[in-house]
Amino acid sequence: MSALEPAQLAAMIEAIARRVASERELLNRLDAALGDGDHGTSVSAALDAAVADIAALDQPSASDLWLAAAKAMLNRMGGASGALFGTFFLKGVAPLRGKDRLNKSDMEAALLAGLQGVKARGKADVGDKTMVDALAPAVIAFAGANDFADGWRRAAAAARAGAESTRMLIARQGRAKYLGERAMGHCDPGATTIACIFEAIDDWWTETR
Amino acid sequence: MTARTQKLINEPENIVNEMLSGFCAAYSDIVRREGERLVLRAQPKAAGKVGLVMGGGSGHEPAMLGWIGQGLLDVNVVGEIFTAPGPEGLLAGIRAADRGAGALLCVSHHEGDRLNAELALEFCDAEGIDNIDMVILYDDISSAPKGRESERRGTAGLFFVWKLLGAFCEGDVTLTAAKALAEKVRDNTRSLAMSLSSCASPVSGEVMFELAQGDMEIGMGLHGEIGAGRQQALSADETIDLMLPPILADLPYRAGDEVLVLLNNSGSLTLMELFILYRRVAFKLAEAGIRVYKSWIGPYATTLETAGFALALCRVDEQLKALWDAPANGVYMKQR
Repeated sequence: MSALEPAQLAAMIEAIARRVASERELLNRLDAALGDGDHGTSVSAALDAAVADIAALDQPSASDLWLAAAKAMLNRMGGASGALFGTFFLKGVAPLRGKDRLNKSDMEAALLAGLQGVKARGKADVGDKTMVDALAPAVIAFAGANDFADGWRRAAAAARAGAESTRMLIARQGRAKYLGERAMGHCDPGATTIACIFEAIDDWWTETR
Repeated sequence: MTARTQKLINEPENIVNEMLSGFCAAYSDIVRREGERLVLRAQPKAAGKVGLVMGGGSGHEPAMLGWIGQGLLDVNVVGEIFTAPGPEGLLAGIRAADRGAGALLCVSHHEGDRLNAELALEFCDAEGIDNIDMVILYDDISSAPKGRESERRGTAGLFFVWKLLGAFCEGDVTLTAAKALAEKVRDNTRSLAMSLSSCASPVSGEVMFELAQGDMEIGMGLHGEIGAGRQQALSADETIDLMLPPILADLPYRAGDEVLVLLNNSGSLTLMELFILYRRVAFKLAEAGIRVYKSWIGPYATTLETAGFALALCRVDEQLKALWDAPANGVYMKQR
């Protein structure tokens, strides 16, 4: 498979929603250590809403799908996480507009725009113990690969390594920043969600090709 | 003092909607509900006046529901527990509040509230809705040091903004003037909170943070964030003697100043305890030569069942005193 049709993109988002649902309790527990313990429930509910909203679209384009995902994350999730996950999809809409079949460089453009959007909105960079710690290396790894299969594999590995790297960090953004050193020893739930997302995509790609 | 994990509710996922149903049914002469998550004045303010919108997570009742009404705010956009509502809800709130003279989106400074407010304003731009602005409000001295006030979080001290800004926007004022007034109140307000116990999420049943019996947390305390620190619990007088000096020093409030005082119940302290605390506050302020114009004691911005309080001061001049005395008719803020 060298290009993604809208139907495949929709299936990919469904695969992400399934994976995050299966990791819901783990993500809640991570959030309980740093926040109010509902991250897994809220991100999973928002992804389920995205899947349902996408299913209701009539012959959607790739950018329609990305916009539906953005709106579900922004409005069903709420909070800083909703704003940041939503921004990731929202900023990817423009690069996808007018593309019927996405090749790897189209996807790369959407991911890069999303990453830039998240960094700008959250005023966060690598090392701040946020989702950016997983998202930035994943997107960069994807961009450095030659094709989709290699890209997703490298992105999944980079996202997981990035999420693990947050364990020993002190938060500089988000609610956990008020915890200071108390945040050490716990992986950031947003970064862990990003790792789940890229691993879900990689597994889905491997299964369907 | 442990958090109460047993709650008297129905299905956890319906908490917010059921709460709003009950609130709006009880006080239908003052508020009405639009859609699932907008609470508005039963009678909108006159056309041509600046509208005031406030978004925020639930779990802080009666904030912000109790501040919707004449002489107060126009619209509250209600989020999940401790979760800011998304931009679509805020946009609906802005539309509902705009009476032709624009609307001011009031943001209690937390990352989620600020990010969603920024997104809502971008959506306003994209949809050609103009004359909309936002103001970031903060008061908690423990969340960032002096000199970095704009990084501080919005907590119970925003009480003064709702009343004074609400009164101001009953007059024929511009959006620019409304924002400036909100900033003036903010810049004269300082607060500090403490707690003896945490609270438990009614959705997950999880305690927000652990606090050992016999300890207290001074500072944020609201979601377990580090503040001035954790220490052995003190007496009421000792607690005030620890908390008031850093508040006074921060603005600073000086001899000859006149202030409004709020002693806000975070959830489950008794009024008896609050009155005992206030007694010491009044004594110490008098000792410092600071005159109390008006005081309010009670649960205005809670953190579920947290056993604790926030002490907030707002320095007032003649303009702010007159606004304070103006009529208000919200469910939890009434003034004739």
